[in-house]
Amino acid sequence: MSELSLTRAIFIALLLPLVGAKGEISFIEEVEPIFRAHCYDCHGPDTQKSGLRLDEPSHIIKGGDSGEPVLLPGDAKNSHLVKLVSRENPKEVMPPKGDPLTEAQVQTLRGWIAEGAKMPGVSNLETPKIETDHWSFQPVQRPKTPGSGHPIDAFIDARLEDRGMTRSKEEDRRALIRRLSLIAHGLPPMPEAVEAFVADPREDAYERLVDEVLKSPRYGERWARHWLDVVRYADTNGFETNRERKSAYHFRDYVIRSFNEDTPYNEFIVEQIAGDVVGVDVATGFLVAGPYDIVKSPDINLTLMQRQDELADMVNTTGTAFLGLTMGCARCHNHKFDPILQKDYYSMQAVFAGVNYGERAMMVSKDPEAGRKIANLEEQEAALDKELSKLRGIAAAAKEESSKDEPLRKPVNFTRNEERFAATKAKSVRFTIHASSSGEPCIDEWEVYSPEGKNVAISATPTASGTLPGYPIHKLKHINDGNIGNNFSWISNTAGSGWVQLTFETPKVIERMVWARDRNGGTSDRLATRYVIEASPDGQVWKAIASSEDREPFRGSVDPNTFVAHLNKAQSAQAQALLAKSDRLTKELSDLRNGLKGWVANFTNPPTTHRLYRGEPTQKREPVAPDALTVLGSLGMKMDEPEKQRRLKLAKWIASEDNPLTARVLVNRLWHYTFGTGIVETPSDLGVNGLPPSHPALLDWLAAEFMASGWSIKHMQRLLLTSATFKQSSRPRPDAMKKDADARFLWRYPPRRLEAEAIRDSMLAVSGALDLTEGGPGFYVHHVKVENVMHYFPKEKFGPPEFRRMVYLFKIRQEQDAVFGSFDCPDGNQVIPKRSRSNTPLQALNLFNSDFVLQQAGILSERLREECGTNGRRQIKRAFELFYGRGADAFEIATSLEMIEAEGLQAFCRALYNTSEFLFVF
Amino acid sequence: MTTHPLLNRRRFLTENASALSGIALAQLLQSESLLGATRLRESAPGKAPVRPDIDSSNPNAPRGAHFDAQARNVLMIFCSGACSPLDTFEYKPDLIKYHGQPMPGGDKLITFQGEQGNLTKSPWEFRPRGQCGKMISDLVPHLGALVDDMCFIHSLTGKTNTHGPGENFMNTGFTLDGFPSAGAWVTYALGSENASLPAYVAIPDPRGNPQSSVNCWGPGFLPAAFQGTDFNAANPVRNINRPKGISPSSDRATRSFLEKLNQHHLKRYPGDTELAARISSYELAARMQLSVPDVSDINSEPAHILKMYGADDAGDSVRDLKAAYAKNCILARRLVEKGVRFVQLFNGAYQTGGEGVSNWDGHKVLHEQYSKHGPVLDQPTAALIKDLKQRGLLENTLVIWCTEFGRMPTFQKGASGRDHNPSGFTAWMAGAGVKAPYTYGATDAFGHKAVENVMTVYDFYATVLHLLGLDHERLSFYHNGIERRLTNVHGHVVRDVLA
Repeated sequence: MSELSLTRAIFIALLLPLVGAKGEISFIEEVEPIFRAHCYDCHGPDTQKSGLRLDEPSHIIKGGDSGEPVLLPGDAKNSHLVKLVSRENPKEVMPPKGDPLTEAQVQTLRGWIAEGAKMPGVSNLETPKIETDHWSFQPVQRPKTPGSGHPIDAFIDARLEDRGMTRSKEEDRRALIRRLSLIAHGLPPMPEAVEAFVADPREDAYERLVDEVLKSPRYGERWARHWLDVVRYADTNGFETNRERKSAYHFRDYVIRSFNEDTPYNEFIVEQIAGDVVGVDVATGFLVAGPYDIVKSPDINLTLMQRQDELADMVNTTGTAFLGLTMGCARCHNHKFDPILQKDYYSMQAVFAGVNYGERAMMVSKDPEAGRKIANLEEQEAALDKELSKLRGIAAAAKEESSKDEPLRKPVNFTRNEERFAATKAKSVRFTIHASSSGEPCIDEWEVYSPEGKNVAISATPTASGTLPGYPIHKLKHINDGNIGNNFSWISNTAGSGWVQLTFETPKVIERMVWARDRNGGTSDRLATRYVIEASPDGQVWKAIASSEDREPFRGSVDPNTFVAHLNKAQSAQAQALLAKSDRLTKELSDLRNGLKGWVANFTNPPTTHRLYRGEPTQKREPVAPDALTVLGSLGMKMDEPEKQRRLKLAKWIASEDNPLTARVLVNRLWHYTFGTGIVETPSDLGVNGLPPSHPALLDWLAAEFMASGWSIKHMQRLLLTSATFKQSSRPRPDAMKKDADARFLWRYPPRRLEAEAIRDSMLAVSGALDLTEGGPGFYVHHVKVENVMHYFPKEKFGPPEFRRMVYLFKIRQEQDAVFGSFDCPDGNQVIPKRSRSNTPLQALNLFNSDFVLQQAGILSERLREECGTNGRRQIKRAFELFYGRGADAFEIATSLEMIEAEGLQAFCRALYNTSEFLFVF
Repeated sequence: MTTHPLLNRRRFLTENASALSGIALAQLLQSESLLGATRLRESAPGKAPVRPDIDSSNPNAPRGAHFDAQARNVLMIFCSGACSPLDTFEYKPDLIKYHGQPMPGGDKLITFQGEQGNLTKSPWEFRPRGQCGKMISDLVPHLGALVDDMCFIHSLTGKTNTHGPGENFMNTGFTLDGFPSAGAWVTYALGSENASLPAYVAIPDPRGNPQSSVNCWGPGFLPAAFQGTDFNAANPVRNINRPKGISPSSDRATRSFLEKLNQHHLKRYPGDTELAARISSYELAARMQLSVPDVSDINSEPAHILKMYGADDAGDSVRDLKAAYAKNCILARRLVEKGVRFVQLFNGAYQTGGEGVSNWDGHKVLHEQYSKHGPVLDQPTAALIKDLKQRGLLENTLVIWCTEFGRMPTFQKGASGRDHNPSGFTAWMAGAGVKAPYTYGATDAFGHKAVENVMTVYDFYATVLHLLGLDHERLSFYHNGIERRLTNVHGHVVRDVLA
């Protein structure tokens, strides 16, 4: 493409008088004078409002920031220029001030465009190639290491030396293992591990420790949480309805697994964008992990905008997470700083145009072990139920003891109702409903148990008074198909009544039943509130074995697990653990029986994508084929490229060694989480508006090393963690503080407050309450009230089910953990590449006064008493080892002894939980 | 208050204080270097961001505005569920005249829930009120009596007709979740006059949170220090009280022990501002622990004040609710009085018990539902404004009343209520710096679309910030590659509404 200036163009025009064929409108003689008179003031050589210049043909072709072509050769009517100067839309006119163009002038422009908008020296009206000299778009080249020894230290030392500074001495082993453990695991090291490391005489003791730390499953849990920030993961839809995504956790577990297994990063990328194509379906949870507005309306403008917002979320997250580019800026106009055209935004949107939200069965290779696993789990479930029943019995007895006036059973509830009766031999059982909480009553599953704890309903034949017609998810067969939840339930065909019957092949001895409206807890209607259950030995004579008569009347939603309150401490802990396990078993069984369901991307045939003028859904412009960024080349995809190919090709382009951004972005993230600040301080923006790298050569060396290692994240982390830069002391030195207070050049290891998750996990670890169960459905710190709009209320009391690592928290958009949310916890609505570290009195109140922390202080004081007896000095020693990985000094011992003596051990523990040394990484 | 001596160490001013004071924020976040703040400033187009001078030991210490302004703090009253202007503050004679007839051009109109029925006048009469004679409906007579102090905007326009995005838009300037609320922006810019209370308080309705819930007072990507603290007259600040079973003396002893350990530890890290800030946050927390229960003690108000707000009303569910909301109004006044920078008072909660039952979302049975919502809102809110005025607090307090969008002049097809309408709706302001009595902008004859002096939510907030002495184009925060603003990349100060 020619870059001719107008003067040169005129010169050529003079030499070649036949530029405009006879009768054609001449650019030089007729068009350019109009531009000169009316446009150059704002769009000329001196000023370029909206980035537009009209004084050179190449710039006319390039257009301005809006991304809208100035003209469409041959199509005057739809050309932007004509629309503006002819004042078609009174809100968008050019020139905005001064005299409008005369009708004759407009006519000239129309004619010129209609004839093909010929300009001197221009043979090709295609958009010129865009170029950039911005550093992050240049190919990665491995720079020479500026010294010997550990390469990272060589780069760091060189920059320090430039500034007349030096690195700090190596940290002692106690401090080192603590730092390593907090960074790699988000947990403090246990005293035994500290002592072992301190006593390890081997020369490579530290390197061995790093290897060990990276092998632990705790590592994946810690680093997955970082990635989940970057990909805006949460377990609810967001917006006002904010419904739960009960199967989103499969993606979270996949991320944890990927870090633990050190999945090569290039594969990790492809899996998340096109996992369905490469056999890792679950990874496509990435595409739909963002918020999703389920409120749809017949209003088409609203629906179109919602879809645009959904696609923007996918494009933006892909852009920031993998490329460190703010694609979102190009939704309405060309990117103001980076070489990203508005067209590029829509090209990438076209890649995702077939992606939709929802839960679906994931493609997993059929598990040949499924049958055996189900049988095994059923056995476990039966055993669990037996134990729970015992506890329920104890609770019932205890409750009767405490309140003899209240002999009635708990009212029915939506998620679990149990009936116990004397062992009875039955050929048939019948459940007759006389009233419901609303509408036609519904039962999701009716379990009938033998004294051995076997659910004999599974093999029985169901019959019913009638079944609500028209709903495949509410068939009669669902009453005993082993599947729970609303989607596998029976609904009667009459409001407030109906019966359902199970007939066994041979008479069975039974003693217990479990039934519910919806064990998944997703609904709060159609509950059978008055009922009688009868058994018959022959199908003729019926005898009532259970009914609602001895229950308190139904008044609304009630937690079925309130029985726990009537147990003693040990029993209650046992019951809660059993209940948590039971929930997991139920879910696992349901997955095995129904195929694994997950909140992952759904795919449809993509419609044609158009560029949208100003990003307005109603202002469609030319169709756009799926593609990557113009500045980095083209993937050459067709307008009707198959859906899967679009994503696969884009993913491979991102994950390619030729992509200058991908490796840089990732190694910078690793650096950010390891040292507190990235080499580029804006980890999701390596564009022009981001900050320049503090150590450009180091960044490139790391990127090159990363790719050479086969994109191994663990390899890179081993490098970072074994560097002397990481191992150096965090203590301030006055000379260096003066020059570089933020330690941007790493003359010390920069201390900082831990994140919410690391604080909570560490608290549990220290008290010994931490439950290290891996994976599976998350735990809740909120009570859920199900309505059209979901309501979440923070739990007041916590028990073992909530004592898992916080990465397993069921993450509700908007609603924060009431204690730890205030520590800059992301709410899953925005991509968060870098958390703030704010410091507020509310944080202090939460840590000092909350039940959670008090409870942990209680548990810890029990632990200390158990381990150290009543000896205050021993308690203090142990506590300091647990909290800080070190013994207490004389001052600390004296103050602590005084404290324990005066206020007790729990108060002492409460204070330690609030100490800076515990809440920070040093 | 005592500030730790270390904390002022790195605070400095330059000849260009406004632009370089980002350094102070950097101390808080430990994230933006001097290099960064400067570079961002250079690369930003147009006006340079003004970075607040934030003291990391007390991020909510008071800070100067960009320029002098009369308003020092804000009371925002938000009606959740979309309160209909056509039944409250916006009088449309043609709606009465053409009652029962189809809206011209409305036959094909599809709004949020679908098709339109006929134009329907308000079930409540409108009457002239105050000296100025502004017509206000009988649904809100107490508020009507205050029209001489109010500046109405009848031409507000939104970008969505869905509640969640609408409440987000009206509270954060963006329809999507996750952006900082207006209160967070103001607190980020100005800090607070009272160090012993939260700088920014959100008072949820007695029935619960609004539909966009904590988004309405969330910090978004601003540091958590600037989020609204939510509590109301019935539910205190979480974890504000000394835990049960711990005596005051034991609590004090524990605090002092903690302080000793922390100071002892700090000796090993001389000059570390983040650590020093952590320690002072416990001092602030201790003060808050005393002052929050104090300010929340509504019962210490004299009987005539309780009566004026309707806080002593009782008898049926509506009057009980009114009393509960009235107590929130009294709490709002007490907070304003104590110098809390931004108080956000909610009327109406998320949808519960059915559409429009717990908020202003009157789709199907507007008359029945608004007959309950009106009395709950009216007297207590009016009393709040009168009370602020009689105490001289309106001098420096900007009061704004708003809702997520308006409602249609038609009833929905086959129903007796109005569908959502973001094309033209009403907000009003009162107090510091606001022209009153005044009416700005207008909708068409029926109240469907804004046609005169059309105002966007961006304009609205540009004006609100201006009233507080803040330039909406310079109050920004760098996030994910963008200098983010409350007004996105839009907004003009509407000078007509300024006193």
